Amino acid sequence: MSTAWYTLLGLFFATYFVLGGYDYGTGLLLARARTARERRAMLTAVGPFFLGNEVWLVAAVGILFGAFPLLEGELLSGLYPAVAVALAAVLTVTASVQLRSRPASERAKHAWDRVIIVSSTVAAFAWGAVLAGLLQGVPGPVLTSFVLVSGLAFVALVATHGAAFLALRLPEEGFDKIGRNLIPLALAAVGAATVAGLLSSRVRGHAHRPGVVIAGLALLILGLMVARVTLGRRNGVAFAATSLTLAVPVLLVGATLWPFSPVTGLTVADAAASGPTLRLLSWLAAPLLPALLGFQAMCWWAFRGRIDDRAPVYW
Amino acid sequence: MDPLLLARLQFATTTSIHFLFVLVTLGLVTVLVYLQTAWMITKKPVYERLTRFWGTLYLINYVLGIATGLVMEFQFGLNWSGLSHYAGNVFGAPLAMETLVAFFLESTFLGMWIFGWHRLRRGVHLALLWGVAITAYASAFWVMVANSFLQHPVGYEMRDGIAHLTDFGALLRNQSFGMAFGHVTFAALTVGGFLVAGISAWHLIRRTADYGLFRKSLRIGVVTASIGTVMVTGFGFAQFGYLGAIQPTKFGDEYDKMAAATDFAARLGGSPADYLPPEWIGAPLGFMIIIGNLLGLVVFLLPLFFRDWIIRLRAPLYILLFAVPLPFVAAIFGWLFREVGRQPWVVYGLLKTSDAVSPVSGGTMLASFLGFTALLLTLAVTNWYLMARYAHTGAADPSLGRQHGSPVPDPEPRPEPVLAA
Ligand code: HDD
Ligand code: HEM
Ligand code: HEM
Repeated sequence: MSTAWYTLLGLFFATYFVLGGYDYGTGLLLARARTARERRAMLTAVGPFFLGNEVWLVAAVGILFGAFPLLEGELLSGLYPAVAVALAAVLTVTASVQLRSRPASERAKHAWDRVIIVSSTVAAFAWGAVLAGLLQGVPGPVLTSFVLVSGLAFVALVATHGAAFLALRLPEEGFDKIGRNLIPLALAAVGAATVAGLLSSRVRGHAHRPGVVIAGLALLILGLMVARVTLGRRNGVAFAATSLTLAVPVLLVGATLWPFSPVTGLTVADAAASGPTLRLLSWLAAPLLPALLGFQAMCWWAFRGRIDDRAPVYW
Repeated sequence: MDPLLLARLQFATTTSIHFLFVLVTLGLVTVLVYLQTAWMITKKPVYERLTRFWGTLYLINYVLGIATGLVMEFQFGLNWSGLSHYAGNVFGAPLAMETLVAFFLESTFLGMWIFGWHRLRRGVHLALLWGVAITAYASAFWVMVANSFLQHPVGYEMRDGIAHLTDFGALLRNQSFGMAFGHVTFAALTVGGFLVAGISAWHLIRRTADYGLFRKSLRIGVVTASIGTVMVTGFGFAQFGYLGAIQPTKFGDEYDKMAAATDFAARLGGSPADYLPPEWIGAPLGFMIIIGNLLGLVVFLLPLFFRDWIIRLRAPLYILLFAVPLPFVAAIFGWLFREVGRQPWVVYGLLKTSDAVSPVSGGTMLASFLGFTALLLTLAVTNWYLMARYAHTGAADPSLGRQHGSPVPDPEPRPEPVLAA
């Protein structure tokens, strides 16, 4: 039972990185927009999905707390600096995306957009750092070169994913090209993170299933290559491919450490809540999951497709 | 600095800010449900405009509810890892339910509600708002279940020094839960009512455009506030019935208090004084009751609806305007009493606050406290500024539910007030 919950936890975090990933990708690509109209269009593309995307993080942490209370305490406090920065950045993105259109003046909106750009970049960086921190094991010093390089690699992946999303949603051309140009950069960054990981004795000692790591990296590179080829022609496929690149890192971390958790020496089974708690959560949550997914799907369906000038605008 | 003190300060600051926004969320969403349902049934345009005006205000407020809520959720892991270690098996379950059942659906529904104007069918759109409201109350429900376990632990058994869940039903039947949940929800309704009445009063005092619209929402606000205060007072006094029994050191008479503290000291070491909350703990309770009784006077404004005396006399408008901050203050006092009053325990009688704090250095904790407090306060002040600016602008053209290319509607002409002439 703890395995099922651990998988669910991984899937929720992975979905958060995929969905939140294009929020932050769009946010940091605002830096590339030249006119207020372009920035407006990019935010309109995210609009209806934004709240539903961010909440995957809230739900993932909820599962962590309910099903793995030991891990929650150890991991969040063990990775304190990285987690605190990620949290501060995420809440700043959340607030500034929703508030940027409230002031009337263009100047104020532009100032908020700069906040969105910076906080989205920091959020992407910090999540990459958190994932790397899990791979090198908790407790232990957090800020290593592996963590920093992985943070940069995650920024590159998130930016590529954002470009693929915008290429899919916006009528204007241009984001497919930005995306294609970002991909070599992302490949290089993933390569650098791999090298840094190989050099770190903590990572080598901790990730005791090298086969999983190789498979995960292969999937990541495959996703980036597919995106490179399809961007501009089949944007849907490209978006699916970049989504894969953001889901893979979490699954890689979880699977390569298995049956251990990221806390050194603690197995997943030992980290889980006791039997009655897990049974209760399963009884309450299992019937709900289809409803949760169904309502999210309803949202995607209602606002699917390319946006046009009749698209609803709110933030 | 002492990490324990910092962690407590940080929790108190973040939760208090969170709660100020949550109160408005819960209060306004209830009013919105009424307004949009009335629009659906009567088809009167004034209800659509009211829904859009108060809806925009609600949404600006909501932003900070989410931002502060995120910090709350992470804070347990960051600063209170001992709590999840010793009590996570029990305490984590209701919080997990809260996120899965309540927040997840709430955010999904809300996104569709905001962007669904003119796009989804009217009935579906209204159902989404009902969904938002129900899940908002569900989140208050689960978080209060979790909090009540901290106040009065039930439904668990200790094995190897760790609490294990034995009876989930007991968590829901917890004495500390029912009345407190009623008290909190009606506190939110009180806040919502006074906010709607106060902002409407401001427009009527200034004789801005849209007389008819704000006259209507003034009435709705006063009725909501009346229901809210009567009920919040009722549930408030109802809590006295059991409080002394379940938390003698907080609210027992002198004898019970000392007996309980002496008993704790005998079992766990230290002196009885270590097991008593600070001396001043009665003060916030007293202030809350005074404010509650003051606010209760709002029912005397109801008869003044007759022939719009409430507007024509003007004094009631000023009273309503100045009353707006009071329920917020009362709510913070209430939490101070509830949370500080259970000290030195995080889980009453079971786990001491000092054993729950994370093994994190004072420096990290200080940076986190200062950083998050500065960030949240900046955002909160910006948010209140935007809400005030928006409330001031009036209901001519709220951004929520704006139709593409629709002209800005003409505000109704305002009738000359008879008395003031
Ligand atoms: C609009 C806000 C408001 C108003 C007018 C009142 N309260 Fe209150 N009170 C709250 C808002 C609140 C609260 C924020 O909602 C609290 C904090 C924790 C809780 O459960 O509710 C609370 C807690 C709280 C507690 C603490 C329970 C505990 O420690 O477990 C008591 C005994 C009362 N209240 C009693 C009253 C009485 C007798 C009132 C009579 C006038 C009153 N309150 C008015
Ligand atoms: C939103 C309204 C709330 C407010 C304003 C509030 C207020 C406070 C305050 C003032 C403290 C500091 C007490 C002290 O250290 O002396 C505190 C501590 C704490 N509260 Fe709350 N609280 C709220 C809701 C909750 C809820 C719903 C929970 C649990 C689900 C909770 C859990 C805690 C914990 C774990 C601590 C830290 C340990 C402690 O000091 O006892 N609080 N809160
Ligand atoms: C101390 C424990 C608490 C935690 C961990 C917590 C956590 C959260 C989180 C993570 C969110 C954001 C959800 C989203 O993304 O949509 C949130 C919002 C909310 N919380 Fe809390 N909260 C706490 C206390 C409370 C209390 C005491 C109440 C009410 C009684 C409450 C009621 C709400 C409501 C209604 C919302 C949604 C509306 C809004 O965002 O303003 N919370 N909370």
